[in-house]
Amino acid sequence: MKLSATLRKIAALFARDFTIARSYRAAFVLEAFEALFGVASFYYLSRFVESPELSRALPQQGTYFAFALVGFAFFDYLNVALNAFDQNLQEARENGTLESLLVTQTSLPVILTGSALYPFAVLALRTVVYLGWGIAWFGFPVRQANWIGAALVLAVSVLAFAGLGVLSASYTLLFKRGNPAKWIFIGGSMLVSGVMYPLSVLPRGLQLLARLLPVTYSLEGMRAALLGHATTIQLLPQLAALAIFAVVLLPLSFVVFAWALRRTKITGTLTHF
Amino acid sequence: MRQSAISVESLEKFFPPARAGWAALAQPFARPTVCALSGISFEIGHGEAIALIGANGAGKSTLLRILTTLLLPTSGRARIAGFDLVREPAAVRRQLGFHTGSDASFYARMSARENLLFFGALNNLSPAECRRRVNELAELLRLEAWLDRQVRTLSTGLVHRLGLARALLHKPAVLLLDEPTRSLDPVAAAEFRRFLKADILLRGGTTLLFSSHSISEVEQLAGRLLLLDAGRLIAFDAPARVRESTGAASLEEAMEILVRRATEAAA
Repeated sequence: MKLSATLRKIAALFARDFTIARSYRAAFVLEAFEALFGVASFYYLSRFVESPELSRALPQQGTYFAFALVGFAFFDYLNVALNAFDQNLQEARENGTLESLLVTQTSLPVILTGSALYPFAVLALRTVVYLGWGIAWFGFPVRQANWIGAALVLAVSVLAFAGLGVLSASYTLLFKRGNPAKWIFIGGSMLVSGVMYPLSVLPRGLQLLARLLPVTYSLEGMRAALLGHATTIQLLPQLAALAIFAVVLLPLSFVVFAWALRRTKITGTLTHF
Repeated sequence: MRQSAISVESLEKFFPPARAGWAALAQPFARPTVCALSGISFEIGHGEAIALIGANGAGKSTLLRILTTLLLPTSGRARIAGFDLVREPAAVRRQLGFHTGSDASFYARMSARENLLFFGALNNLSPAECRRRVNELAELLRLEAWLDRQVRTLSTGLVHRLGLARALLHKPAVLLLDEPTRSLDPVAAAEFRRFLKADILLRGGTTLLFSSHSISEVEQLAGRLLLLDAGRLIAFDAPARVRESTGAASLEEAMEILVRRATEAAA
């Protein structure tokens, strides 16, 4: 009963975000074309830099286009995770709905979880559009891709990233805006986790740093599943690393969030922005 | 013995001093030293209508936000329908309906109906029950013609009625309203008061605690009033008795006398 009630609430939060997004109809269509421009840019950049040496240097020894497209498409999951939770909180504060939400019979963690669902669903759709354009027009190689393995890597990645997102929301709850840790984390991950180039080109120290970031394992797993035709068993090291991040980060983030929420109820700054 | 609808014992609330610039980074960890409420005690019975009055900064909104679990008290205890605010916040929220008095607490690009169904779902109403309650309340508050319009197209008066409908969706035992007629024109405010009196108080038997700056609203709706001054409770009685006890000609004058006496006693 309790689980079904929670699922109904999460569905209501998703429906809310969908209803609001639907009221801006043109945005849907424009995003699909934006994705096309992004894919085309990678393709022509790839044609410019492509060489047999570069191809050999890539982990799956494929095209730079495929390598970069997977990197950008899946790095977005980290971006969305780090922004979805605190943006939602910020918006509720600014549009005056936060107090009305918090006096309902729904806990803030459920509100946050339900509110993050829509941005992730839109991102999943955007990923499909990205890959779709890539496959249809630019020869993105998917013939022997391990889709089940890729879905598993994605699911565990989202859980690990969500922990980071809830930690970021805790910061926003306490300090309102301007989360420097978030931007350092996104910038640092972009630099060292292998979004645009393989880890092997980095100095040893940065390669070690990359091993402390979940997105590194996420991109490695994705590329191995989609481009390297790795079996699900071969993906186990990446899946295990991501699962460890998720198991540590998710409970920790909810404990920190509960503490931050209590502090704002003491200081009276819950609805300040 | 029957529980009180609202029971408050020696409630105190202190906030940390407001900080700006780099010092604001320490605000969440600062010690609360600024007194907002001090030694507040009162009991409200089931079905009573109580007005919470006082000057700006007297502590009305702080008290309401503690009662809605949006703030934690520094010390003291408060119960709603027998449930402790600090230890049983979820049970308290089941008993409560709250309208913030703001005309911007809805999703502007969703229709009135979509907003009500959404908040109903968050208040544990099943979809069928929620649809039935939305139709009932729309009829009661004369919102039927507006239910399928986006909230951004509704007048302030209609948004306040929608706020009241939202607060009543799950049939709460206690209704808390924070200056519900604050941004309404006199005609809309009078109409809103008529709804409250005829349809909520007389028909439903709901306990009502509302803050207000309007003396006529207090006299029209409240059986008793709670007068706060600088975080202290200085009167808790029927409006007529407050007037008589001070020998004042009006409730406004009685409030002035009581606040003056409290200030002199504190000095």
